[in-house]
Amino acid sequence: MSFTEKTASLSKGSVKYHVGGEGRPILYLHSGGGIRVTQPVLDLAENHTVFMMVTPGFDGTDYLDGVDTMEGMAELAKEFIDSEIGEKCDLIGYSFGGWVACWLAVLHGDLVDQIILQAPAGFRGKDAPGLPTDPAEFVKVMYAHPEKIPSEDKPEDVLKHNREAMGHYHSGAPMDNALVARLGEIENLVLVVHGTEDGAIPKESMQLLKSKLNRSHLVYVYDAAHGLEIDQPERVSLLVNDFLARGEGFLVNWGDEAAGFEAVSKA
Amino acid sequence: MEFAYFHLMPYTASPETTKDWPVPNHRFDPEIGHELYTTYIDNMAYAEECGFDWVGCNEHHMSPFGMMANPNIIGASLIQRTKKIKIAMVGNLIPLLNPLRVAEEYAMLDVLSGGRLIAGMFRGIPHEYVAYNVSPSESYDRLLEATQLIIKAWTEPEPFGWEGEFYQYRAVSIWPRPIQKPHPRIIMSGSSKRSAEIAGQFGAMFGIAQIKTMENARELIDAYKNSAREHGWEPKPSDILVGLSLAISEDADEAKEMLTGGRKFFAEVLGGGIRTAQQLVLHKSRYYDDEMKGKFIDARKAAMISVDDLIEAGTALCGTPEQVVEQLRYVESQLGHGVTNINMKTGNIPDEAITAGMKMFQERVMPAFQNGR
Amino acid sequence: MRFSYTHHMPYTGIKQAGQDWPVANNQFDPVKGSEMFNKYVEDKIYAEQTGFDWIGCNEHHMSPYGLMPNPNLVGAIVAHRTKTAGILQSGNILPLMNPLRIAEEYAMLDIISGGRLVAGLMRGIPHEYIAYNASPSESYGRMGEATALILKCWTETEPFGWEGEFYQYRAVSIWPKPIQNPVPILMSATSPFSSELAAKHHAIAGILALTSMEDGRKHIENFKVNARKFGWEPTPLHINIGMNCCIAPTYEEAKTILQAGQEYFFGVLGGGIRTAQKLVVQKTRYYHDQEVAKAQAQKFVNMRSGAGGMSFDERVEAGLMICGTPEMAIDQITNAYKELGMGRLGMTIKVGNVADEHVTRTQDYLRDIVFPAVRHLGEPEDPAAAQAAE
Repeated sequence: MSFTEKTASLSKGSVKYHVGGEGRPILYLHSGGGIRVTQPVLDLAENHTVFMMVTPGFDGTDYLDGVDTMEGMAELAKEFIDSEIGEKCDLIGYSFGGWVACWLAVLHGDLVDQIILQAPAGFRGKDAPGLPTDPAEFVKVMYAHPEKIPSEDKPEDVLKHNREAMGHYHSGAPMDNALVARLGEIENLVLVVHGTEDGAIPKESMQLLKSKLNRSHLVYVYDAAHGLEIDQPERVSLLVNDFLARGEGFLVNWGDEAAGFEAVSKA
Repeated sequence: MEFAYFHLMPYTASPETTKDWPVPNHRFDPEIGHELYTTYIDNMAYAEECGFDWVGCNEHHMSPFGMMANPNIIGASLIQRTKKIKIAMVGNLIPLLNPLRVAEEYAMLDVLSGGRLIAGMFRGIPHEYVAYNVSPSESYDRLLEATQLIIKAWTEPEPFGWEGEFYQYRAVSIWPRPIQKPHPRIIMSGSSKRSAEIAGQFGAMFGIAQIKTMENARELIDAYKNSAREHGWEPKPSDILVGLSLAISEDADEAKEMLTGGRKFFAEVLGGGIRTAQQLVLHKSRYYDDEMKGKFIDARKAAMISVDDLIEAGTALCGTPEQVVEQLRYVESQLGHGVTNINMKTGNIPDEAITAGMKMFQERVMPAFQNGR
Repeated sequence: MRFSYTHHMPYTGIKQAGQDWPVANNQFDPVKGSEMFNKYVEDKIYAEQTGFDWIGCNEHHMSPYGLMPNPNLVGAIVAHRTKTAGILQSGNILPLMNPLRIAEEYAMLDIISGGRLVAGLMRGIPHEYIAYNASPSESYGRMGEATALILKCWTETEPFGWEGEFYQYRAVSIWPKPIQNPVPILMSATSPFSSELAAKHHAIAGILALTSMEDGRKHIENFKVNARKFGWEPTPLHINIGMNCCIAPTYEEAKTILQAGQEYFFGVLGGGIRTAQKLVVQKTRYYHDQEVAKAQAQKFVNMRSGAGGMSFDERVEAGLMICGTPEMAIDQITNAYKELGMGRLGMTIKVGNVADEHVTRTQDYLRDIVFPAVRHLGEPEDPAAAQAAE
């Protein structure tokens, strides 16, 4: 499975994206680390066309004039769906991307179907500890199994730049109160996924989301930290694929017929 | 000092020695079993009258060693018979069970008792893994994951799912949920260093069911305290439970005789099948590391040592009330624990002697340990 | 006629219907729950004094519908606090559990009670499978194997091993083992599979939630046909029918109480469960088996209002519940016996949020007026035969 890099020409300028796979379209909004085609993304591409849009300013791209808020990013994503996907799609947002995904759902929920939020940012309480700046400490907070980080990961300067790029879109306030006030407007079916060892985003953020989202499920992934696609790829894949295939029915154990089963066993 | 009254509920009516595993249950006479349950439940309820702070049950399978395959069933009965004593489940054997079920049953007990539950998360002794056909090699990993999951089931304000190594649930919200906030007090076993570290990690109380040597107990307590400090908290004496056998009488020789006879019955009759199963696990799995294997063999040797030696070593309480006070003072000075777990039904010690001893313990031993209550 | 007292122990502290699955337990107030729990336990103990032959507990998970995730804990209390009543566990849900554990716990209850256990071996309702993340499609297979294994645990005289499709043990010899030999078992008999399995194991057939007398007769007849295949003939005491019951000085009062209770039961307590039920039917997000879904949905409607959407009065008229004055109750039970020929009747009196004093009052009417008038129904005339049927 290979992803190809493309460019979308949108009203505010051009946006890079990676696309791969075949099947129902799904938009993937990346975390502060930028685009990573992890094992769960590859599994997803077994039966979905996965569109991974690069947030302007990340992975060596330029910022776009007039796109400098989370709402602005959500509007950009909306335009991306209209222009590149052209139909209603599912949506995954991871960490920083989960924050954007929530805004997209609030502003244009009719464009997306089911939503998966992986450890979304934007809902950290004021007491939540900040992220360490020391790279070694940072890795500890982010990964329960740093040994699983692929050796071909991006150079540290790109990662550092990506982290800084997040600041372009929000003031650094831990809690997006304007968004919290509007979460109840989201009618989409949402799966919230969180690692039990996540040192970056506290579980209280997830509990808040769960209580505000009308149609939502919260699942903890054991022995995973913030980098849950790296820490526990099989568990994440199983959840995501089963949820996308069955909707609410993913609550039921279908034995060997589990929708995610095939994709995962291939992985 | 707080006192816990612990009872194994052994089946004592089949006195032949055995080495078979499992112990054939044709040796179990159900009518006698019925009488024993009644006697034992009455006896345990009596602990409240005798001023004990806790009454404790635990889980064992497929042998006369203990008749509580699910101790929560006995816990429910005890709740109905008592008003204020803490109901300590020491414990459910977490790696053998569905953690959700444990969370549910403990929540039921906590709600039924108005918040009197002490929730034991125990790993169990090897033979139970043979009984339930669970791999002993997974025991620590299951204990860790299950304990986290159980705490989540008790405390999450919203329904949640769990995608783990051993356990998977898509949506959990248990009814009833427990009454104690933030959740029932947890006690974990401290029979190995690894277990002691885990107890510290979870902020749990720590219990050594039966101390082997003073030195070993001190090491385990240190491991627990160190682990707790690493996880940012400082255990108090009341977080540490130490278990001791007790035989008490006006006549010191009578107490010794009682304990000697009880230990012999325990080792030869009640424990025979279990030792066989233990051997199978020790030899064929990674349940214990080599250090622990050595300790287990030490423990078996310990079963052979005399009551006099036990008293000398401070690992049993035996004698007149005055002697027992001195012995317990010594253990307290050595270990600094705040809860003493008293086990009086060693082997087949007669029940009448036990009830008499409980009263004597209340009247003449407990008053010497009123500090800090 | 033998009577059993079934009480789900519902949590009645919520007013709003929770339609989500699972029902969020932040609606559960543990202090209120503790009072309720202990009150319900007293109700169950009182059932022995009001002449019930069996006292029943059953297993439910993750909803206010019933607060007994392990009913054996409550069964232990009832066993400990009563002298003669049968301890009916209806039931433990076999496919969700380790069968060995059920064999052990039931054995403990039988020993604690001095041989009064009636062991329900049940398959459960769909939402419990979601709760325990067990596969509903394996439920029949697990049910059959677990039943056989549990009976082995109780009857084998020497340690044995088991190599099955779902369960494997190398050496089993449970301590304690039960007093009764055989332990009486109760199984559901409302589907072709369950009816055959119940007949195979000589169980008492449980038929709950009648939607019509005809429906009941059909289930009983099927069970008898199955039993004959296995070479035995069920007596009335092998047939247990379940109904809601409310008795008051007037029909109008009884109706008002029971109708409100049923509304609460279906509307508030049953909301999350219905959602879960639908999920089990729905296999994927894109494809529903519409026929199955419709049939399932209809079944729930039937439970609520009888076949064909009957009114409350029509359901009473059709004999599907015991409701009215004590005299009416006598007629209703007599009539049900004529229609179905059962020897056992299970009554749920705490239906939804029926007030506890009304529950007690119904029990008192039963003891004083109703039971004496109907006890003889369905009893073997020969006392020896009655003994044998026990």
